[in-house]
Amino acid sequence: MAALRTSAFLCLFGLILLTPSVSRSDDYFEKEVRPLLVRACIGCHGPEKQGRGLRLDSKSGWQTGGERGTAIVPGKPDASPIIKAIHGRDGFSRMPLNGKLTDHEISVLKKWVKNGAIDPRTNVPSVLGGMTLDETVNWWAFRPISRPAVPHGRFSNPVDAFIGEKLAQKNLSLSPIADRRTLLRRATYDLTGLPPTPEEVEAFLKDQSTDAFARVVERLLKSPHYGERWGRHWLDLVRYADTAGENSDHPLPHAWRYRNWVIDALNSDMPYDTFIREQIAGDLIAVHGPSEKYAARVVATGFLAIARRFDHDSDKSMHLTHEDGIDTIGKAILGLSLGCARCHDHKYDAISSRDYYALYGILESTRFAFPGCEAKQQPRDLVPLVPPAEWKRIVQPYLHKLASVDAAIKSSADLQRRHAQEVQAAFVKNRRPISQGEVADGKEMAFGESTSELQVNAGDMILLSVTPLKNHGADTTLVEFEVTEVGGQRRKWNATEDLLATAFEANPHADKHGHKQVWWFFDARNQPTLLHEHVLDLAGNKGLTAWRNGDTPSALINAAATEQSVWTKLPPKSLFVHPSPNGNVAVGWLSPISGKVRINGRIRDAHPGGPDGVGWVLEQFSIDVRKPLMAQAEAAAELRRLTVERTALAKSAPKQDVAYAVVDGKPADARMHLRGDPEKTGEVVPRRWLQVLGGTALKDKSSSGRLELAHWITSKGNPLTARVMVNRIWLHHFGKGIVKTPNDFGSRGIAPTHPELLDWLASEFVSSEWGLKTMHRIIMNSQTYQQSAEFREDASRTDASNNLYWRFERRRLSAEEIRDSLLAVSRQLDRKPAEAHPFPSESTWAYTQHVPFSTQFETDKRSVYLIQIRNRRHPFLGLFDGADPNSSTPVRQSTTVPTQALYFLNDAFFHAQAERIVERLLINPEADRANVLFETCLQRPPTVQERELTLEFVRKRKRKSPDVPDVESTKASWCAMARIILAGNEFLFVE
Amino acid sequence: MAAFSRRGFVRSAAAGSLLMPGLLSELLAAENSDATAPRSPHIRARAKSVIFLFMSGGVSHVDSFDPKPKLIANHGKQVVFDHPETKGRPGYEKLFLKKPDWKFAPRGKSGIEVSDLFPHIGHQVDDLTVIRSMHTSHSNHYNATLGMHTGSFAFARPSIGAWASYGLGTLNWNLPSFLVLAPQMPYAGTQVWSSDFLPGVHQGTRVVPGSEPIANLRPRVRSISAQQLELNAMKEFNELHRAKRADDPALEARIKSFETAFGMQSEMPDALDLSKESEQTLAMYGLKRGQSDGFGWQCLVARRLVERGVRFVELIHTGSSSNWDSHGNMADHGRLAPQVDQPVAGLIRDLKRLGMFEDVLVVWTTEFGRTPFNNTVENPGREHHNWAFSSILAGAGVRRGHVHGATDEHGIRAIEKPVHVHDFHATILHLMGLDHTKLTYRHAGRDYRLTDVHGEVIHEVLC
Repeated sequence: MAALRTSAFLCLFGLILLTPSVSRSDDYFEKEVRPLLVRACIGCHGPEKQGRGLRLDSKSGWQTGGERGTAIVPGKPDASPIIKAIHGRDGFSRMPLNGKLTDHEISVLKKWVKNGAIDPRTNVPSVLGGMTLDETVNWWAFRPISRPAVPHGRFSNPVDAFIGEKLAQKNLSLSPIADRRTLLRRATYDLTGLPPTPEEVEAFLKDQSTDAFARVVERLLKSPHYGERWGRHWLDLVRYADTAGENSDHPLPHAWRYRNWVIDALNSDMPYDTFIREQIAGDLIAVHGPSEKYAARVVATGFLAIARRFDHDSDKSMHLTHEDGIDTIGKAILGLSLGCARCHDHKYDAISSRDYYALYGILESTRFAFPGCEAKQQPRDLVPLVPPAEWKRIVQPYLHKLASVDAAIKSSADLQRRHAQEVQAAFVKNRRPISQGEVADGKEMAFGESTSELQVNAGDMILLSVTPLKNHGADTTLVEFEVTEVGGQRRKWNATEDLLATAFEANPHADKHGHKQVWWFFDARNQPTLLHEHVLDLAGNKGLTAWRNGDTPSALINAAATEQSVWTKLPPKSLFVHPSPNGNVAVGWLSPISGKVRINGRIRDAHPGGPDGVGWVLEQFSIDVRKPLMAQAEAAAELRRLTVERTALAKSAPKQDVAYAVVDGKPADARMHLRGDPEKTGEVVPRRWLQVLGGTALKDKSSSGRLELAHWITSKGNPLTARVMVNRIWLHHFGKGIVKTPNDFGSRGIAPTHPELLDWLASEFVSSEWGLKTMHRIIMNSQTYQQSAEFREDASRTDASNNLYWRFERRRLSAEEIRDSLLAVSRQLDRKPAEAHPFPSESTWAYTQHVPFSTQFETDKRSVYLIQIRNRRHPFLGLFDGADPNSSTPVRQSTTVPTQALYFLNDAFFHAQAERIVERLLINPEADRANVLFETCLQRPPTVQERELTLEFVRKRKRKSPDVPDVESTKASWCAMARIILAGNEFLFVE
Repeated sequence: MAAFSRRGFVRSAAAGSLLMPGLLSELLAAENSDATAPRSPHIRARAKSVIFLFMSGGVSHVDSFDPKPKLIANHGKQVVFDHPETKGRPGYEKLFLKKPDWKFAPRGKSGIEVSDLFPHIGHQVDDLTVIRSMHTSHSNHYNATLGMHTGSFAFARPSIGAWASYGLGTLNWNLPSFLVLAPQMPYAGTQVWSSDFLPGVHQGTRVVPGSEPIANLRPRVRSISAQQLELNAMKEFNELHRAKRADDPALEARIKSFETAFGMQSEMPDALDLSKESEQTLAMYGLKRGQSDGFGWQCLVARRLVERGVRFVELIHTGSSSNWDSHGNMADHGRLAPQVDQPVAGLIRDLKRLGMFEDVLVVWTTEFGRTPFNNTVENPGREHHNWAFSSILAGAGVRRGHVHGATDEHGIRAIEKPVHVHDFHATILHLMGLDHTKLTYRHAGRDYRLTDVHGEVIHEVLC
């Protein structure tokens, strides 16, 4: 196709070359310029390649230009990039890359540009991406949906009429209607993903009325399981997942609301155009009311929010997330591969890079909920489920209180800082170093043994500061610090002992001699700022107390009698300081006495394994700073009280449910990313609809444009949305689409086998208010759907791959159907919808690429509710060809691999379901068991032969375990028999 | 009741043999007109199988396979780079060259220098091509690991093992064609061995040491004869069902898959059972009798798997933590290297001993190198470095005792004959007989390749 098109294009081009326009003003171009362009430029800047996005094979090509904008400024050779490029000036690589222009050729080009760059090449086909405009007009998928007349004939159902006509052309016919049991099983799986119950089979077999099957279809369409089955089809397309997919694969605890919204929307038969519009712009639609629909519409935009996130800091890779979003809108809704146009115009389809960035601007103008990532653990921008105005009313009183506390906190902090600065000023002038040292990584060092006695006055401070070496990060440091009075009362002040006495309940802290404010702990980065924030049982570790000020520097005590394992192992009954990467933490002893003292202590790097250790300094400040210190302590105490108050207040904050969704952000048109690189931006592309579908410009530039996008996508003028969806409905009834590439209606896709039927269905879909259930009724009430799956030699000779639908096609159950069927027949299935997954609470998150989120949660609910982890595929779903949670899955594969058979041989869950069945089975008398087992698992009685084989197997199997009690061997034998049926092809295939 | 007629015979004939005879494996494969049936390569295949040894976390090239005397001479000299790992990072305003912690010496007849970190591999250097000019596109573990496995640094794509399986099929229907011996989960998780849009049959099957190396491999019904009885009955019921549906190959394929699974239950444990290996062989891998973990175990099992016709065996050394990511202290390389050094050397010697070195390609790599500099002279660790690292190719079709490419004087940038991950992939596929530009899969309207639109085969490493 592509090759054909190219050669057609070249022929056309050749034609133009041979029959140049004769107008005199064009003579120079035709004689001199065109041959030169053809020889030297168009090979890389023409139909084959578009180097740097530039084409020189038409006037519009150089007018539009490439990455560096318009290639020619008529009349101004020096300002024209094309001339700069042939000289290799201004950062252009010298052109042509693989050769050199002669001086004459250079002068030809310059002269041409100088004289106005007259270019008659207007009849060269205009190109959109990989198609000419003519081709796009004629491309089947872009043509307006027609309403083909239903072929006349013996069929009353239009589906049969269209299918029957094509069959008749090949002298083929539909197969007879399948037997009732098969039909019921087929319909029940197709609409609900579950097997029929034995009771449902019985009722249907008894119902001899002509509309019996039509009523079954109605019953199934009303079942809440319908939405679970068809919702899953949609979730496949939109690569639904419960994790974000970036390097640490953060959980999305609110994504389930979108999953359930999809299920509910399908159950309520929401018109498909509404379904699409709400997913693109539900938040913008919601503001117009009614209020009871507000929450659901916000949730619907989860479609956009669940786009995959990337890298270490996913905020920085939103261009990739938007590619994922644009690509998914393209594949899932339009059947177009839009993602290809991120780096260059589409090679095959009518999508330009400008189209891509026109849509990109819309997504970039949207604020996406942020899931958290390794660099920023906590989520943000989750979208409340009540309207902003209502929420404002609820939250206002709280915010007022918070603001007043915050103001008080600020003034206390300022006060504390002023007093700290006074202390600092006094210290600077009266500093007397005692000793200092450096402790290597993991090592320790004693101090004070060599220091002589010190003379202190009451109010002097002896300060021990600890800093990480070489600015290399915080390091937990064990500190022992003891002051001994020489002479006098020979009192001792041991920091650890004094603090342990009350588990470090205050800062400043008392000694045991009755002095209240002896031990002081400072953030000493700028000035000695008292650590005011008191944290008990730090990170849940009993007896671990910290003082800090909301930042890294802190002092800690492990008052427990045992070692604490935190970021490192903290020995019992010990005091630690934890400096920050850029500065010190200090422990001060404020002398309560005047006299002589001796100092000793020990410093130990308590967090070995870092690249370096810590440094320390012991200093004496011989000036009475008690006044500013006490004032600072008062301010710090007030600050502490306020911090506690703020925490309590924050806990009382009104809470609301949130969605992982989107809202409008800052509206702006986006710049092109040259070759997809967001660092290299090109021209601004106004937000608009795809050129090939009309290219309507955004009217309201003050919004993101999502609302208009939602309308463009679902407008009558866009034939793709309806065609793509009816094809999917068909696909999920027949196992293949009328278009066999359901995500690709472009030039690389496969054309429809029944284009008239496709269009008839699409037009019916649109005119029936986009009702999915209407389409199910039309399709399922056809003979085409109801016909038998039996093989017919004659038909197969004409149409081996059943492209004409002369029989129904057998299909293997999907992963979800297998698991749900096992749970259903074992009666273990919890049929109630699930809600949120039991994720750990957000405050505990610390996921990294080393230790990403990776927990699989078990449930007995339907498989659509199983957790979908992007970077750790669910083992069962992965094994049985489940959907890829990282990209749109239009059709499930159906592979047969031995590891699947291993599942049926040895899996614990599988064995357990067989056991549950047999536990109930054994209540029945022996003679009935074979029948009950078949009815339970296959909803039919066994044939005589099957019954005999069953009983024979059970007898033989019992003999394999002669030495166990009869009860046990009976159970084991029937369990084996149940497994045989559950692993059998009849159970695993629908026909 | 002739349940396992032909296959049963074929398998029992094969079971007695340590090396699966080529004829038998073809016989087995020919029975299955399946996606994994052996297929002809595009070009002459040099390697029947690949053993891909992946060191997770980033092995320092300047401490292992890339000697840099100037780095020692200029130790402590300040350098300036706009490096992705240090740019804008607090405390990393200044960068200083940092000498290696291990001594290099010429080894073997080729005299290729290898450091004391890998003395055993050094001893085998005459059998290897050392590529010293590797580079990759990302300095984050997750992305670089994904890139080394799938050629894509952000999006989920099929793994190289899945591509190989897709391109060539399997030689032993009783075993998956792509096996991954990964005791721990690597960066980027299961994406590392995913088949993504390729048919699921090409997905890597993870093997872990322990009592159940592959999920559901251990028979839950303890008596094999009881299980056999069950399987025979299952086959009977399935054949009854199939009687009127003889046209459908999917039903038959599924019946056969049970026979294969039954075979796997014994074939896989047999491949993992080292009890018949001699003392000398175990010693080569540094294994103790009875040991069933460690990289030596992984290497010997890999040899046993390729013997049995597995196309692509990947061995991951440690997962996404406690790995080669020695930020804190390079001494950690000294802890990890002995875990792999002797096993890797042993694997090469063993393959040579068995005459398999001509048919098996051994790949040793990591996701990126480590910075030949750091923010202080004393800093004992090294940071991530994607501008340069070293990888090894050995065995089928690869030059021996050869060094390809070079970094600059300090090992900072690959300057001579740089080899990007895409080129590395193109070369591995080439050795398997696959043209990386022709090994494509149509997905969502586009023909995808392992090498995307990049990659050049490095012909200079071929022999």
